[in-house]
Amino acid sequence: MLTKRIEQLKDFFFDRHHHSVRRTPEELGLDRLCDRFAADKVPAQMRGAILFEEMTKAEKPVIFDGELIVATRTITRVPSYFTEAEWEEIKSKHYLHENGFLSNISANYKDALAEGLEARKQRFEARKASADAEGKLFLESAVRSIAALQGLIAKYEACAREMGDSALAEVLASIRTEGAKGFREALQLLRFIHFGLWESGCYHNTLGRFDQYMYPYYKKDVESGRISKDEAWELLLSFFLACNKDSDLYPGMQQGDNGQSLVLGGRDEKGNTLFNELSAMCLEASYDLNLIDPKINLRVDRNTPLEIYKLGARLTKRGLGFPQYDNDDVVVPGLIRKGYSPEDANDYVVAACWEFIIPGKAMDIVNIGALSFAGLVSKSVDRLGQYKDFESYYASVDADIKEECKAIAAQYKNLYIAPAPLYSVFMDGTLERARDITLGAKYNNFGIHGTGIATAADSLAAIEKYVFDEKSVSVKDLQAALDANFEGWDELWHKLRFEAPKMGNDDDYADKLAQRLLASFDEGLAPLRNERGGCFRAGTGTAMYYIFHATCLKATPDGRKAGEVIPANYSPSMYTKHKGPVSVLKSFSKGDLARTINGGPLTIELDDTIFRNEENLEKLAMLIRSYVQLGGHQLQLNTLNKETLFDAKAHPEKHRNLIVRVWGWSGYFVELDECYQDHIINRIKFAV
Amino acid sequence: MSKGTIFSIEEFAINDGPGIRTTVFLKGCPLRCAWCHNPEGLSPKPQIFHAMDGDEICGREVEAKDLAADLLKNREFFEMNGGGVTFTGGEPTMQADFLCEVMDLLPGVHKAIETSGYCKPEVFKKILDRLDLVLFDIKHTDPEQHRRWTGVDNAPILANLQTLKLSGKPFVIRVPLIPGVNDSLENMEATRDLVKDAPGLQRLELLRYHKTAGAKYPKVDMEYSPAFDTDAEPAVHDIFGNIKLLIL
Repeated sequence: MLTKRIEQLKDFFFDRHHHSVRRTPEELGLDRLCDRFAADKVPAQMRGAILFEEMTKAEKPVIFDGELIVATRTITRVPSYFTEAEWEEIKSKHYLHENGFLSNISANYKDALAEGLEARKQRFEARKASADAEGKLFLESAVRSIAALQGLIAKYEACAREMGDSALAEVLASIRTEGAKGFREALQLLRFIHFGLWESGCYHNTLGRFDQYMYPYYKKDVESGRISKDEAWELLLSFFLACNKDSDLYPGMQQGDNGQSLVLGGRDEKGNTLFNELSAMCLEASYDLNLIDPKINLRVDRNTPLEIYKLGARLTKRGLGFPQYDNDDVVVPGLIRKGYSPEDANDYVVAACWEFIIPGKAMDIVNIGALSFAGLVSKSVDRLGQYKDFESYYASVDADIKEECKAIAAQYKNLYIAPAPLYSVFMDGTLERARDITLGAKYNNFGIHGTGIATAADSLAAIEKYVFDEKSVSVKDLQAALDANFEGWDELWHKLRFEAPKMGNDDDYADKLAQRLLASFDEGLAPLRNERGGCFRAGTGTAMYYIFHATCLKATPDGRKAGEVIPANYSPSMYTKHKGPVSVLKSFSKGDLARTINGGPLTIELDDTIFRNEENLEKLAMLIRSYVQLGGHQLQLNTLNKETLFDAKAHPEKHRNLIVRVWGWSGYFVELDECYQDHIINRIKFAV
Repeated sequence: MSKGTIFSIEEFAINDGPGIRTTVFLKGCPLRCAWCHNPEGLSPKPQIFHAMDGDEICGREVEAKDLAADLLKNREFFEMNGGGVTFTGGEPTMQADFLCEVMDLLPGVHKAIETSGYCKPEVFKKILDRLDLVLFDIKHTDPEQHRRWTGVDNAPILANLQTLKLSGKPFVIRVPLIPGVNDSLENMEATRDLVKDAPGLQRLELLRYHKTAGAKYPKVDMEYSPAFDTDAEPAVHDIFGNIKLLIL
């Protein structure tokens, strides 16, 4: 249950009272720092540190009534430390991922919380003596960044003292220099580090295995009686709530797409279950707060007790679109297969949406590109007449996928990521290497999404069955019908759309083709290396490409008409009434999903009316567990109510707090662009 | 090998027995309950259904062995989750031979039926022998009222209920709670007294009437005009004592 304090704060933030303290970089004269940098020829590495210094200096410490965990953004935007001309120059020579700044990796919070800022700063300082010139520059930028963060904490400390909150002031005084002494200190230090990552211009800043690195502090404090369980509960709520204060300022494709993923449970290298008391509290805190952040992932495996699935299912019922369930039995071996050490693989966390990443050790770019299965299959129809049997036709599709893999991989040359000195401080090996994290880490792999798998598999199934096996549809007719967008081809359209085998019906006819497509994808990426020596990881996610890839896709042989959407992530097509969730789970757990270890969840919509009693919650838990036991890699369940969605589209003002899962993240429905709203409404048509 | 007519197979049917189950809807029902929410299950024959995306045929003939094979595909899933198969309708006992044949082809699978109990005693016994669980409706205890609201006499139902009680098989009693029809204290007490001492009784479920019951009537060209107040809230009486109660 929420405490009174938390309820009041939640209302306060929800009514956006804290927005009144916000200023723009323009008002603060921070927007043109880049001109000074350019004039003084300040190296990019140092600009990151100086900008962060200036931002933290300009920050105004604000402590709202009742806040236990503080730090609120008062500056609306982090300006670039490059001028437009410089940025154009960089762009002309380099490949930039998204906005060019560091995103979507996971820091080593565990060590940072234990060591503390001062000791770490001194280690970076000491390393200068033996570093080369570039190294010295990096280390100096790191030291200045830490000092800036400490300066911000000091300002908050003074503010707390002024307000007479000596307990808070003590916490802040302690974490400015030392490692976390207890649960409150650990949460507050984490808040400042996380705050700093955003304020230094990095984005999609994840939270990693929160229940693992926080648990020792919780346990020690509660066992020693330093704090009570009730106090710990309120602190946890405070931290979760804090993740929502500034999230509308975080960059993303849509509001809510901010990558504040938090991972619970899982196991260690020996296979011991790590789900603990704090993990359960996190699920409950998320349920009680009913907010979009942090976005919860629950690591499970075939041995996870049903009770834990039930705790997850309870949160699923809440309708926030999380937790997302990640299957260690598939993910860990899949990561090892791609070269991650067993120890690191067991420590995986989840990046912004679903992509698996190793905290502290990976500079992977897990969402660098996407391969459109549906697009490739669609194009192959034009040459269908050349093949005498399905196998020779599929061989050509296989070759196309592999060519496309090469072409995609070839795009990412001369990668440039703007230096991120503060983030570097919290990543492993940057000190030893004396190099910014953006230049590389232990793992430097790239992830490629695979979109429209069901559309592609269903299309191939229709071609195999009707063109090659039954010979009931001629190549010419199929091509003509697709060219005409099925105008005048009603009968053929009906057959393809409603009668052909579909992925999601536990029908090997279509499911096998999906497995072959994924295998081709994985094989196509296997030999490729990026310029950092990293590999490419195949995935089953779509991100926003389910909108992009569908708009330029003509009618497809599965009976989908031009302009109709393709499913988000690893999901069945959206206009077919499938046999039901059991068949969907079976279809989508077939094959070796460890091969598509970039991730991308099977997504199922549930109508909220199914949760009428406790028994049904247990059945949902069983359903989730079954997917894991059958070998599925990742599952996302959305609990929605049709009427509510329709009403929210018509009357957004009445549904400001309606939360939906979009692709790999949850956001407020009324804040979404219409195409995303419509996709969600479309999906619910086939809800269980 | 006999054929039957079904109108739906629903996976993950969460209100039809334990665990993860598949429910098969058999077409045709001898009752005409005023509150029926599955009008497409009344006629034993396939019929036109005006669906969202155009007309479709509701109901299809299927051979017992094909249906059984289809259901057995998810056997592993049932076993993993203490589930099985539930037959409902319409009224599944109306197609007793077909039903028995399908059940005989599902050895080792937990089998349940949802029934009005309205069938001949020998038919009921034959089906009961093959079942692991019975979900048995009691719509009204008074013969006159029963006839008025469902179109049939309740004597065969009460006789079959007696058979069920004596068999010792696990069963669940389901009572659709219809405002002003069967929600009186008197009828609820009579319902309770019919089953309270039966060793096989697992629980009693009260299924509250919902206005959406009428939603599908236009889709099968029927009119929904029940003679009770569809806006009223049914009364729930706290009289069930030790009987495990579930209100849905």
